[in-house]
Amino acid sequence: MSDLVENLKRDPVSFVDAHYNEGFALRREERDAIGLAGLQKRFAELRPALPALAKLAADQGIDAIRTIDDAAPLLFPHTAYKSYPLSFLERGQFDKLTRWLGGLTTIDLKGIDTTGIQTIDEWIALLEARTDINLIHTFGTTGKLSFLPRTKTQGWQTTTINAHCIRDFAGYNSGPDVLTHHMPLISPSYRHGASAIIRGMNRMAVDYAGGYENALFLYPDAYFSADVVSLAGRLRAAEARGEAGQLTLPPALLARRDEFAAREQGRAVDMDRFFAAAAERFSGQDVFLFAVWPILFEWAEEGLKRGLKGIFGPNSILTTGGGSKGKVLPPNYKDVIFEFLGFDRHFEFFGMSELMANAPRCAEGHFHFPPVIVPYVLDPATGQPLPRSGSQTGRLALMDLMPATYWGGLVSGDEVTMAGFDEPCACGRTGPYLEADIRRFSEAPGGDDKINCAGAPEAHDRAIDFLVGSTQ
Amino acid sequence: MSANFTVPLLLRGQIIDEATVEFGGRRGAVSFRAPDLSRHLNELTLSTPSRMADLYAISLDEIFDFLAALGKRLHPADNPHLQQAFELSRLTSGLSDSILRHHYDAIPSFFERDIVRDLAERLIGIDYLEGWVEQPATLLPETRLSIRAVGARAVHIIAGNVPVVGVTTVIRNAVTRSDAIIKTPSNDPLTTAAVVRTMIDMAPDHPITRHVSVAYWKGGDQQIEAHLYDPGRIEKIIAWGGFAGIKHLTQYLQPGLDLITLDPKHSATIIGLEAFADDATLDSIAKRLALDVGVLNQEGCVNARVVYVQSGTDAAGLERANALGKRLFAALQSLPDHLSTPHKAFDPELKAELDALAFVEDEFRLYGGRTNEGAVIVSQSDSSVDFARMLACRVANIVPIDDIETAVRSVNSYTQTIGIFPESLKLALRDRLAFQGAQRLVSLGGAATLMRTPQPQDGIEPLRRSVKWITDETADGDYLASMAVS
Repeated sequence: MSDLVENLKRDPVSFVDAHYNEGFALRREERDAIGLAGLQKRFAELRPALPALAKLAADQGIDAIRTIDDAAPLLFPHTAYKSYPLSFLERGQFDKLTRWLGGLTTIDLKGIDTTGIQTIDEWIALLEARTDINLIHTFGTTGKLSFLPRTKTQGWQTTTINAHCIRDFAGYNSGPDVLTHHMPLISPSYRHGASAIIRGMNRMAVDYAGGYENALFLYPDAYFSADVVSLAGRLRAAEARGEAGQLTLPPALLARRDEFAAREQGRAVDMDRFFAAAAERFSGQDVFLFAVWPILFEWAEEGLKRGLKGIFGPNSILTTGGGSKGKVLPPNYKDVIFEFLGFDRHFEFFGMSELMANAPRCAEGHFHFPPVIVPYVLDPATGQPLPRSGSQTGRLALMDLMPATYWGGLVSGDEVTMAGFDEPCACGRTGPYLEADIRRFSEAPGGDDKINCAGAPEAHDRAIDFLVGSTQ
Repeated sequence: MSANFTVPLLLRGQIIDEATVEFGGRRGAVSFRAPDLSRHLNELTLSTPSRMADLYAISLDEIFDFLAALGKRLHPADNPHLQQAFELSRLTSGLSDSILRHHYDAIPSFFERDIVRDLAERLIGIDYLEGWVEQPATLLPETRLSIRAVGARAVHIIAGNVPVVGVTTVIRNAVTRSDAIIKTPSNDPLTTAAVVRTMIDMAPDHPITRHVSVAYWKGGDQQIEAHLYDPGRIEKIIAWGGFAGIKHLTQYLQPGLDLITLDPKHSATIIGLEAFADDATLDSIAKRLALDVGVLNQEGCVNARVVYVQSGTDAAGLERANALGKRLFAALQSLPDHLSTPHKAFDPELKAELDALAFVEDEFRLYGGRTNEGAVIVSQSDSSVDFARMLACRVANIVPIDDIETAVRSVNSYTQTIGIFPESLKLALRDRLAFQGAQRLVSLGGAATLMRTPQPQDGIEPLRRSVKWITDETADGDYLASMAVS
């Protein structure tokens, strides 16, 4: 245990090699020491390299971090990674967009030539080809996607930690180690794309399944386009205001209408092929499956309609999350899903694209943060950190200590209740955890007009309909 | 917060305050109780339109007298109903106490005889309200045409961002001799009720009192709305409010039901190069712009949000825009308390957007925005911020432009008011701005301070649409009979 504490204090990235469960057996002072040392280390390394962080520190009059709370004013607003103006995209100013991203990462982007780049998808591919960055984009609620400059190594670290969580959650080596004993990977989603989930699935296809030949994607050839996601968000925002007719479409996207239309037509065929392949190739086998609840439910309904049920082996693993926000699922949705799948072993996480290490849900229904995440609860009105004791309700903020190339501190848009600072959870794990009730601050009470990752594919489809139907 | 407030149902002169249903108010914290409206639906609507005849047994002069007498009882200092409404509004409104107080104190003035008479005359015409008006001779000398404006049965779904909306609804209903069911909003459920309750205290059996009801229900309640929005029961729906709410209403539309919408709007500003003529001019422009942005704490649809300034976009132009931004921020901070204050519930999502501007310092310059004091964002190119739609709580975005055309093109049918400087620019642009969709053009500084003279709203004449225009044609009998034979 003392090894874990010393290792994490020295370098949070060493969590990649840790026994995951030990992170939930730390005493309060051990966890705080890891958090404080990590904050100090990241601040010292990144302040000179990231002008925005330096400016924030100067504005806040912060020169050193002496307590965990000292770092709260240095957490970026959740808008930071989408702070570029949309006009950069509309006017094709990918040079400016690159310069903006360069201010948020220590990876040198100065030499990147964006001549000829017209779409976000092309820009992401360019960065991937020329630098260590495997950019991650979010789903954007107003058409603005956050762009997170995660490196290729960090992508690998993220899925490795996830595998260790599955292996160690109920105790060291209590579960299967998918990194050494590969399992077929099933993804009811896109093979190609740059969302956190798709990036993760691709990594898992290699690390968990041992290669793409042992993986099955619903859309094995389709690309989940960041440009379309961006359009979907803007369309939804414009529809909510009754202004959809005024939305202008970027010419580069219009040029790809035929491609999208062809994909739309192939959708039903893709679904049939997916079910056929799942049944033929993996029937009765233990598989690794990763999808959010609403997608799983849709999939299960489709499968049951085709007379398929109990298709996978009993020792399969499902990892999931995302709640059921944005979609109304029947009360027995999990039963329907498990009936179709044939197993019910699952790990549920609270996570966000911005985090490298997510928070697994325990039997008590609480989401536990691993020690490389320093969570805060902020007063929603003042933004001041609430005491790190008892149970606190307010705005969730997080410092992800894992990334050394970008600042992992972020204030979220989520209202949460956090406890576990001083008393362990009834499940026995120590350290701060979230209670199950998590909601967006921007959600109007009684209304729900948000896109989150659970609702995004639907919005993606609607955007393609709009694009294909557009006569501009 | 517990439900300490009761929002009564005011039903044609009756007060029903057996409040059994709890509702959550806006801004998270406040809740209140109201009676179960579904139990009173049949009394709420007028079973037959002929029951409006009692309104025609009184003269318009008597209606003016009645309203004037009511106004005298509406001084917040000695009206307990308004005092209670004020206390609830302090919790639900986006306006600070000092601004709310100013608006409450102004309520009696709306009821003054001359003011109400002027409104009736300008927005409809007293002769049409009072009787049949014979029209000038037509091309057919055998016929005569008379027209009268007759009241209608209407549901009013009113906005709650400023208290005056409910107050004028009551007045307009009275002078048009209409029958109103006023649905109050959760961000101001009591002010209108306080006015009508005072009316009930004064004269519970007066025809005007018997033809106005005030109710709260949660917008979208199927049981209530399906009953109400029926052409057998009402003729008009007059709806203020959000896109989603109005979209929801449209499912009930059918022949015989007229929907008058006062949609959500945004307002803007266009400032010509003349603003930078000299220091004194720039100072005056900053002060006038501060009024357009800051009055009502930017809670109104009339308030300026995006400000197009013909400063130029080269380095010198940006400097000019920045200089205006700096002065605008200072002028906002100096506005008197009864007009504008730091916002008491600054939108945290907007704050996050302001904070994120630090990551694009080359593109935007920010004045203020540290806590709730308001802010001025000066774009360093001719693009507005992506969150222009969220601008509120005294936050404006100055956008420098080279060509005034850029500003003209930004105008659409969601643009309500445009404050303009100088006057010559207003004259030069006004036709084109009107084609583009703008609905109200004002001298810079007048966006939220003028509107004293009754006038059309949002490009329509809501009062003329809220009544029924009935014609009476008379023709000589021999003339008519002659048409039956070849």
